[in-house]
Amino acid sequence: MDIESALRISAAGMNVQGTRLRVVAENLANRDSTGQSPGADPYRRRTVTFANQLDREIGTNTVRVSRVGTAQGEFPLRFDPAHPAANAQGYVRTPNVDSLVETMDMREAQRSYSANLGVLEASRAMLTRTIEALR
Amino acid sequence: MDVTRTGPIALAERRLHWLDQRQRVLAQNVANLDTPGYRPSDLRPFAQTLARSQSGMVRTNAAHGSGGLGGDVRPDRQLVERTPDGNGVSVEDQAMKVADTDTAHALALSLHRRFLTMFRTALGRQG
Repeated sequence: MDIESALRISAAGMNVQGTRLRVVAENLANRDSTGQSPGADPYRRRTVTFANQLDREIGTNTVRVSRVGTAQGEFPLRFDPAHPAANAQGYVRTPNVDSLVETMDMREAQRSYSANLGVLEASRAMLTRTIEALR
Repeated sequence: MDVTRTGPIALAERRLHWLDQRQRVLAQNVANLDTPGYRPSDLRPFAQTLARSQSGMVRTNAAHGSGGLGGDVRPDRQLVERTPDGNGVSVEDQAMKVADTDTAHALALSLHRRFLTMFRTALGRQG
């Protein structure tokens, strides 16, 4: 049934945005996770990618998380000679997490989540009305 | 005469089926709001779907487009915006379509119910 598929698709959309928020939380939590020894890498920012994939159970395309990858890019340097991960010049490599970018990502995830919730509510209203027509 | 095959009741039923399908397509668009390279789709307008199915064309092959109850899903031609990652879904546009579908569904359903009541009245029962 189409309306039921619509409900499932919206739920899948909310699900992937939830995963995205989890990754944002992970990035923000690890904003200051540097390495333990001079050669070690600090925390590398994680990214989420979505894909439109066939859900065989309901027989239509829904959205899925296709990959949780890591963001490339330079690690910013911070001068801190007393740090255990400092190199010979006294610089520490810090994670490539930008809190501004993460906040923006979080807002976008929230916006998409609400959009899916709106569609879910509309579909549910349609379904309820149809059921009431049987009375 | 079978009242469910002809007249306003059948029309309302077809409309409801089309609206159900459209809601599924719109849900798919909104779910893929952040999928790179995704292009939104929509159904062929109801009037066109109806005109095509009434033009007397016969489906000779199962691989041909289904001219039956539902509409054909096709890519949305009027893209409002497109992000750098190639996604063409506009959330405002989709929200408007969802609201449209919701209202039209309520209308078609009350039409359906009203006509059934008329038949019941004609049969001498209180609807």
